[in-house]
Amino acid sequence: MAEFQVNNLGEVVEAVQQAVADKLRLEVRAAGTKRHLGRIASYDQVLDVSALAGIIDYQPEELVLTLRAGTPMNIVEKALADARQMLAFEPPSMTRILGEAQHGVRGTIGGVIATNISGPRRLTAGAARDYLLGFEAVSGRGELFKSGGKVMKNVTGYDLSKLMCGSFGTLGVMDEITLKTLPMPETSCSLVIGAADMPSAVSTISGIFASPHEPGASAILPANIASEEGVDSGSPFTIIIRLEGIAASVADRFGHLQAMTGGDALAEAASVKLWQRIRDVQPLVEKPFDIWKVSCAPADAVRVIDALDPRLEVRMIADWAGGLIWVAGLSPQLGPALRKAVALLDSGFAMLVRDVGVTREKIDPFEPLADSMFALHKRVKASFDPLGVLNFERMHKGI
Amino acid sequence: MLMPEPDQGVIDRRDEICRTLRQMLPADCVIDSRESMRAYDADGLSAYRQLPLAVVLPETVDQIAAVMKWCHQQEIKVVPRGAGTSLSGGALPLADAVLLGLGKFNRILETDYENRCVVAQPGVTNLAITKAVEADGFYYAPDPSSQIACSVGGNVAENSGGVHCLKYGLTTNNLLGIELVTIEGEILRLGGKHLDAGDYDLLGVMTGSEGLLGVVSEVTLRILQKPATARALLVGFEDTGDAGTAVGDIIAAGIIPAGMEMMDGLAIQAAEDFANAGYPREAAALLIIELDGPEVEVDALIERVETIVRKAGASSVRVSQSEEERNLFWAGRKSAFPAVGRISPDYLCMDGTIPRRRLPDMMRRMASLSQQYGLRVANVFHAGDGNLHPLILFDANQPGELERAEEFGADILRSCVEMGGVLTGEHGVGVEKRDLMTIQFTEDDLKQQQRLKCAFDPGHLLNPGKMFPQLHRCAELGRLHVHKGKLPHPDLPRF
Repeated sequence: MAEFQVNNLGEVVEAVQQAVADKLRLEVRAAGTKRHLGRIASYDQVLDVSALAGIIDYQPEELVLTLRAGTPMNIVEKALADARQMLAFEPPSMTRILGEAQHGVRGTIGGVIATNISGPRRLTAGAARDYLLGFEAVSGRGELFKSGGKVMKNVTGYDLSKLMCGSFGTLGVMDEITLKTLPMPETSCSLVIGAADMPSAVSTISGIFASPHEPGASAILPANIASEEGVDSGSPFTIIIRLEGIAASVADRFGHLQAMTGGDALAEAASVKLWQRIRDVQPLVEKPFDIWKVSCAPADAVRVIDALDPRLEVRMIADWAGGLIWVAGLSPQLGPALRKAVALLDSGFAMLVRDVGVTREKIDPFEPLADSMFALHKRVKASFDPLGVLNFERMHKGI
Repeated sequence: MLMPEPDQGVIDRRDEICRTLRQMLPADCVIDSRESMRAYDADGLSAYRQLPLAVVLPETVDQIAAVMKWCHQQEIKVVPRGAGTSLSGGALPLADAVLLGLGKFNRILETDYENRCVVAQPGVTNLAITKAVEADGFYYAPDPSSQIACSVGGNVAENSGGVHCLKYGLTTNNLLGIELVTIEGEILRLGGKHLDAGDYDLLGVMTGSEGLLGVVSEVTLRILQKPATARALLVGFEDTGDAGTAVGDIIAAGIIPAGMEMMDGLAIQAAEDFANAGYPREAAALLIIELDGPEVEVDALIERVETIVRKAGASSVRVSQSEEERNLFWAGRKSAFPAVGRISPDYLCMDGTIPRRRLPDMMRRMASLSQQYGLRVANVFHAGDGNLHPLILFDANQPGELERAEEFGADILRSCVEMGGVLTGEHGVGVEKRDLMTIQFTEDDLKQQQRLKCAFDPGHLLNPGKMFPQLHRCAELGRLHVHKGKLPHPDLPRF
């Protein structure tokens, strides 16, 4: 497939306009670490945007970072760490889960935004979509447009930043983007608590979140995974609660929570390592399994996990207090079982993140849309990209 | 303010339209007498008034859908309205539009502590959400100053903020899901009790769309556990620039206060006269810095903040020693608007945002504009996030003063954009800032936004005349201009 590298916005505009004129379908790609996420679709040309890279302006005391979408994540994280700041949504590294690891490449900030992926702190601090303040992009019409701004508080016009997050490059080719940053917590540690079953795990977590002790992240590991990760509570399920902040505060809150629920301490270094592994879904990536991601109301985790027949032989971890469930397995029945379980809930979705046993040609990676929602999505797509020039059908057939 | 030319054909059909609406809704849900409609002729931007064609106050989502569907078929415009507290004219009626009030949707449907959310009808007030859960230790974080009156549906439409957004975010960051009625009368659900869209984030786009994309008929809001404690510092400065430096230094030290408010000299004096909060009258700038969380944390951070503000040149520092004293610190700030109302017959409240480091430039600019227009300006400012609320003092009884005040306000907003900021931080565009949109956005930016509007409402029937300075027909916006296999090249800088 022909590859076309663009170096500046003018070239992006030109390339997209040419594609419109020639009715070509473009695959927008930077580092390419998330190419296996989403539907398999065929393209006429790769639009390589990796040269649209670099930090433009970073004002730590303003909590604002403006940079180009192709900037590699390791550069972003280095700049932030130097100022003791972070992207609070804790973007995961998808390179291992998707098997595209290459020479320390961790994907780009544009990829993180386009896929709206967030880590454990999403539960309390928000998702990637909550941190994109503004952007400049080229639409599928070949027109340069911007939305949002470079300030923290802004309601001027439609919030197209939200739409760009998680649109998998189907609406525009982003160049300059502005993100809200936050200070890194001074310290952190975790509390490891046993639970006899999922309902009691969910109820323990509810109790913790009904306290004023500010849990920052909360995961549930089944015994086999807890044991592999060295945090076995001796119970069928192990709850991990992360506390972050200044040392005096963390120690105080830890004391209160431990008095409330029992459990053991996981000191900072081990806690950081464990949460990074949870963030990157590492406990599930080693075995060559399909990996599904389910987003549901936290308490509905019980129903989703109940619906998984033991014969499916899955491995799973739950993050976001139960609201994010990663399930790995090889049975072709796994996807249908998860989709059926989600359909019975009031809300939620199941997404195929890695395919090994099933193929993305046979099963839609994204939760299929009901007719009226499909029609609306199609009109939204057409409003940015009427001919389907950008990443066509990456999310849904016909969009 | 020029509104779209009313459709005389629709106005002529008024009697027939009201008759039909009465067949769709219980009789008392349709208001069409001029006297009764007067209560709906304006929102919080009371300088602009207009009687609607008719007012409907549906009681069920099916009734909303029926009204929308019929209006869509008949090509009759619809203006949605929550509590009518918009400061930008978002709910300003149109002479040829049905005003759809959500006031009867006033029930909280579910409090769900397991999933830490509240499901409510859109007409419930912002404060009622917190009231419903505070006995159990929870609260709803966004707290616009109108929270006692404004509705949560309106909060979604305007993406409302408040004094605590720096730490807790705006409505968009605290909204999990909505039910929405489209202009075609279709009922859709976006989001729910789970996190993230999984598809296009239409919930995010609906938030802050000012009633132009759909009518919100139910909301699911995230609730948080109330912080264990809160304390505040009251810090005076002789120089506004020093106050700005202090704000930057606090954040650079890794501290995110729950609230960080600034007031200038005129605002300090007006507020002090009104509320006797113990503000330092001689100060040029005042900061109220609130920290919340566990007691040990708040105590430790208060100390750090005190050191920082003293280093930045504070002329006075007081730390609240009791809940009563903390509330007193806030009493002045919270009464700033009525306090300014007492020293001037009228005032205009502006709402731009600037990068915080530009604050001293902005204060200088405002002082010179104040001289130029011969009008006083008092400033209250969400200092943490750069959101300015200049209050322009004028007397509407003096011929030409309103126009002069509006011009002054427009110049302030122009300066905000010039300094790298935006036209509105939390009040919305509405009709008030509609014609200034071209300062911040190019024609292509605005066209792209309107194309999105067309995806939801191709007939421009929902709340037209708001947000966009110029209405383009959707067919025209959708056209792709390809000439001889090539699109015309816009004049773009190459770098």
